[in-house]
Amino acid sequence: MIVSWNWLKQYIKLDISVDELAHRLTMAGLNHESTSDVEGDIAIDLEVTSNRPDCLGHIGIAREAAAVLGREVTPPKVDFATSRPAAVDLTRVEIACPDLCPRYIARVIRRVKIGPSPDWLRRRLATCRVASINNVVDITNYVLLEASQPLHAFDFDKLTERRIVVRRARAGETINAINQKRYELTADMCVIADASRAVAVAGVMGGFDTEVSDRTTSLLIESAEFDPLAIRRTSRRLGLSSESSYRFIRGVDPAGLDWASRRCCQLIVELAGGEVAEGAASAGPPVAERPGVVLRFAQLKRILGIDIDPAEARSILQRLGLAELRHDAATVEVRPPNWRRDLEREIDLVEEVGRIHGYADVPEDVAVPMTTAPRTPRERVDALIRHTLTAAGFSEAATMSFVDQSLVDAFRPWSADPPLAVDHPSRRHENMLRQTLVPSLLAVRRLNESRGTFESDLFELARVYLPATARPLPHEPRLAALVTGRELGELKGVVENVLDQLHVALSLDVRAADRPEFAPGRGGELHIGDQLFGYIGQASDALVAKFDLRKTCCIAELDVDRLLAAAQLIPQFRPVPHLPASEREISMIFNEAVPWLIVESLVRQAAGAHLESVRFLGLYRGRQIPAGKKNLHFGLTYRAADRTLTREEVDQSQQAAIAKLRSELGGELRGV
Amino acid sequence: MDDNLTRFLADLERFGAEACAAFTAAAGAAEVEQLRIKYLGQKHGQIEQFDTFFKSLPPAGKKAIGKRFNEVKQAVKQAHESAKQQPAAAGLAEAAARPSTGFDFSLPGVRPRLGRKHPLTQTAEELVDIFGRFGFTVADGPEVEDERHNFEALNIPPAHPARDPIENFYLGDQTLLRSQTSTVQIRVMERQPPPVRVVAIGRVYRPDAIDATHSCMFHQIEGLYVDRGVTLADLKTVLRLFAASYLGRDVHIRFRPSFFPFTEPSVEVDMSWDVRGGQWVELGGAGMVDPNVFRAVGYDPEVYSGFAFGLGIERMCMRRHGINDIRLFYENDVRFLDQF
Repeated sequence: MIVSWNWLKQYIKLDISVDELAHRLTMAGLNHESTSDVEGDIAIDLEVTSNRPDCLGHIGIAREAAAVLGREVTPPKVDFATSRPAAVDLTRVEIACPDLCPRYIARVIRRVKIGPSPDWLRRRLATCRVASINNVVDITNYVLLEASQPLHAFDFDKLTERRIVVRRARAGETINAINQKRYELTADMCVIADASRAVAVAGVMGGFDTEVSDRTTSLLIESAEFDPLAIRRTSRRLGLSSESSYRFIRGVDPAGLDWASRRCCQLIVELAGGEVAEGAASAGPPVAERPGVVLRFAQLKRILGIDIDPAEARSILQRLGLAELRHDAATVEVRPPNWRRDLEREIDLVEEVGRIHGYADVPEDVAVPMTTAPRTPRERVDALIRHTLTAAGFSEAATMSFVDQSLVDAFRPWSADPPLAVDHPSRRHENMLRQTLVPSLLAVRRLNESRGTFESDLFELARVYLPATARPLPHEPRLAALVTGRELGELKGVVENVLDQLHVALSLDVRAADRPEFAPGRGGELHIGDQLFGYIGQASDALVAKFDLRKTCCIAELDVDRLLAAAQLIPQFRPVPHLPASEREISMIFNEAVPWLIVESLVRQAAGAHLESVRFLGLYRGRQIPAGKKNLHFGLTYRAADRTLTREEVDQSQQAAIAKLRSELGGELRGV
Repeated sequence: MDDNLTRFLADLERFGAEACAAFTAAAGAAEVEQLRIKYLGQKHGQIEQFDTFFKSLPPAGKKAIGKRFNEVKQAVKQAHESAKQQPAAAGLAEAAARPSTGFDFSLPGVRPRLGRKHPLTQTAEELVDIFGRFGFTVADGPEVEDERHNFEALNIPPAHPARDPIENFYLGDQTLLRSQTSTVQIRVMERQPPPVRVVAIGRVYRPDAIDATHSCMFHQIEGLYVDRGVTLADLKTVLRLFAASYLGRDVHIRFRPSFFPFTEPSVEVDMSWDVRGGQWVELGGAGMVDPNVFRAVGYDPEVYSGFAFGLGIERMCMRRHGINDIRLFYENDVRFLDQF
C-alpha cells in the first residue's frame, strides 16, 4: 500500500517526521518498505499483512497511526444535496446469488460533465501510482484508496432497462472488459448484469460497453461486498487482477459500503457537477451488530510475559476503535468496529494490546527450564553416513526433488508405479517427484564434466516419493546415493565402510542384478541378511550415453531407513585379544567361476575352531596363470583365547583348509 | 624539441640503463639497498633530479616526454624489485646444490581426497546443534502432506489466500507438497501430550519464480515449545540465546508485529549486535501458538501456551558465507561445494 504523506495529513495531525512515522508504524505491524519523493509529496510504501484489509486505504492507515500516536482521526464529512426522483424510482437492484454478493448499493447521478481531473486529484493518484483517466473514474479510485472500498461507475444510460442484476454467469456467456479483451465466463463466477447481459465481472473488472466515456451524462455508482473466495477464483481463472479484486479477496467492511458510495457522490458533484438522486437502490440484509469480546487482563501476562496495566489495555483498545461495553477489575468487554473483521477472539485482543504497547519491554533474559533432548537415531545415522562418505572423498550434493520424465525413465530400481506429479503452471516439465536420487546425481556429474571437473565423487541423502495404494500419503523413504568415477570394487568398499560405521551385525550380501542401467555382469542388489537395502553397479553404456557423460561411472543407492533398522548405534565392547596370533597365507589357483565367498566359507568350515579370520589379499590373472583361471591370495589368522597355539596345531588347520579347497574346488597351491 | 629536453632525455636513458644493469648485477641484500639509495632514494637518489626537472617543465614539455619518463622510472623500479627477490632465489640454488639427506618438506603433501558436507547441511547441523543444547529434539514429518496438516490444523481456513492452488504445489485434490515445516508441529502434537520442545528441519516448496534469492524448493527450520506458562518472553530469550550462540557474540532481539495464521501474536524477528547503530537484521518469523491450533490437536489452550518460530536455512547460509545466489546450492558445481 503506497501512502501519500499529504493525503494522510488530511485525516490526522502529524507533527513528526516521515521517518519517525514509518518507524512507529513498522513497530506496530505496518512494515515500512521504502519512501520516495514524488512531486511535492512523499510516497510511503507500507506492507499490509493479509489480515488487515482495512489498512489498504488512507483512512485505515490514519486510524492505525492515530492509535499508535494517541491522536484523533478526522474522516471527511460527507454532505451533498440530492434531488428527486429518488434512486429507487430510477433503477432497481436485485441480487440473485447472495452467497457470492451479500450486499449491493447503487446511487444514481444525472447531468454530470465528464472531463479531466483537477491537479490535486491527479497528483494524489500519481503518488499512489494510479493513472488518471477522467474525473469520475479518478474519483472512484480516489475513494478506493481513501476508504479501501472498491467502487465502480457505470454509464447509467447504457444499462438495459437501467437496472442491476447480480447473478452467476450463464454458460457460454462472455464479456468485453474495460481492457478491451473478451473473457469467457463460467457459472461459478459472479457478474453484474443489466436486464440483458453481463456488464462487469463482479469485483474484478468492469465491462467496456458500459464504461464511463466523454459522452456519459448519467452514472450508476456501485458499492458492494463480494465473497472473497469467489473473487479469488474468478481472478485466477481469468488471469485478471486489479486494485479492486485485491481488496475484495481480503474482505471489505460491509458497514462501510454506504459511506464510500456517498463519499464518491459528494466528490463527483464537487468535481463533475450533476444531481444525485435521493437515497440509494440497494439489496442485501443490514449489517448485524457484532458480538462483544471479553479480554481477561490476566491473559496479557500469560501470553506476552509482561505486565500491562488494565487501564492502558483499555485505552489501547478504545484508540483502535473498539467500543467498551463493560469492564471490571479483571476483564473488559469490547465490541470491535466493523472494519476490523480480524478481531473476534480474546487472543486477537491480546495481540492488539501487545503490538500497540510494543514488544520492546518483553524481556530477552528469562530463565527457560532445561530439559532432555536426546539425539534421535535418525540424526546419528545421518551423521555417521555423511561422516563416512565425506571421509571417503565424496562431496555432498543437494538436488531438486522435481524431475522430468527422462530422469524418471533413466533409472527405476525402487518403483514401477508412475511418479507423483504436481499440477502447477510453473512446472510443466520438471513436475514429477523423484523415486531415486541417482539420475539427479548423474546430471550433476555431467554439469561438472561440462565445466571441466571430471573427478567428481558425489553423494546425496534425501527423500524419494513412492506412491502408496493403501494410504493417502506416499511413502517417503530416505536414500543415500553415490556416484563416482572410481572402480566398482572401491565403491563397494565405501558401502562396506558405511555398514561398518553403523555396526550392522549382519553381513553384506551382494546378489547379481541384471538391470539395463548396469553394465552386463556388473550390477548387484545389496542385502543385509535377507533384506534388500540397495543397489550397486557400473553404469551401462546406454546410461552413460543418456547423460552424455565422458567417462563411465559406478553408482550405488542405499535405503537409509533400512540401514537405520539394522544399525547398532551403541557398539558393545569385545575383549581385545592379548595372546599372539599366528598369521598364514594361502595362494591358490581356481577356475574363474569360483567366487570368493565359496572359498572363504570352505576355509572357515575346514580350518577348525582356532581360525579367527580370513582376509582377501589379492586376485591375479596373467602370464603365470593358465587361461580361464585366477589366483586368489588370502591371509588366515589363527588364535586361541587361552593359550598360544603351537606351530603343529596351526599347520594342521592350514593343511585341512588347503585339502578342502583342493577336493571341493580343484584349487592348485601356488606357494607363497 | 628544444635542447634542454633533448639533453634531459639522453641523461634519462643513460640513467635508466646504468641503474637497471647495476641492480641486475647486484649480489646480496645489502648491495641492493645501497643501489636503491643511490638511484631511487627519496632525498638524494639520482631519480630526484630528474623528477625536479620534469616537474618544472611547461605542460607542452611534460606532454612531449612524459610517457618515456614514466617508462624509464618504471623499468628502474622493476629492476629493483627483481633484485630484492634475488637473495631468496640464490638461497634456493644453494640448497639445491647441497646433497639431500632429509625429507623435502617444500613438496606439497600427498592429500587423500576429502569430501565436504553440503553447505546447507552444515548450516542445518549447526542450527540443530544449538537448539539441541536448549532442549529441542529433532522431529520429522512428510514432505507430501494433506490439507489438514498443511492448512486446517494450522488455522488457515479455505478462504485464506495461502490456500490458493496457484500458491501451492498440489498433487491432486487432497495432497500437496508442504509449503512450510509448520506441518510437523501438528504431527508432533497429535502424537504426544505436552510439554513439547522440538525443531523440524527439511525441504519446503512454494511456486515462487526462481531467481537469485528465490527457489521453488528450499529448507526451513521450525521450532515449537509448548508447556504451561510459556510466554513471548521465553520466545525472545530462546531466540536471543540462539542468535548469540550462532554468531558467537552478544546480540539483541527485536519483535515487529506481523501476521501468520498459526500464531497470535505473530512477529517478525530482527537481531542486532549494534542496537545503538540501529542496524537490525531479519532473522525469521515467530509467534505464540494460536489457540485454534491447540484445539485442532486436542490441547487445552487455557492450560497450555507455546511459541513457534521458523527460519530459512538458505538465507542463513547465504548470509554466513557471503553466497550471492541461491541457485548455487542446487547446481552442485564441486568448485562451489569444495569451498565449505
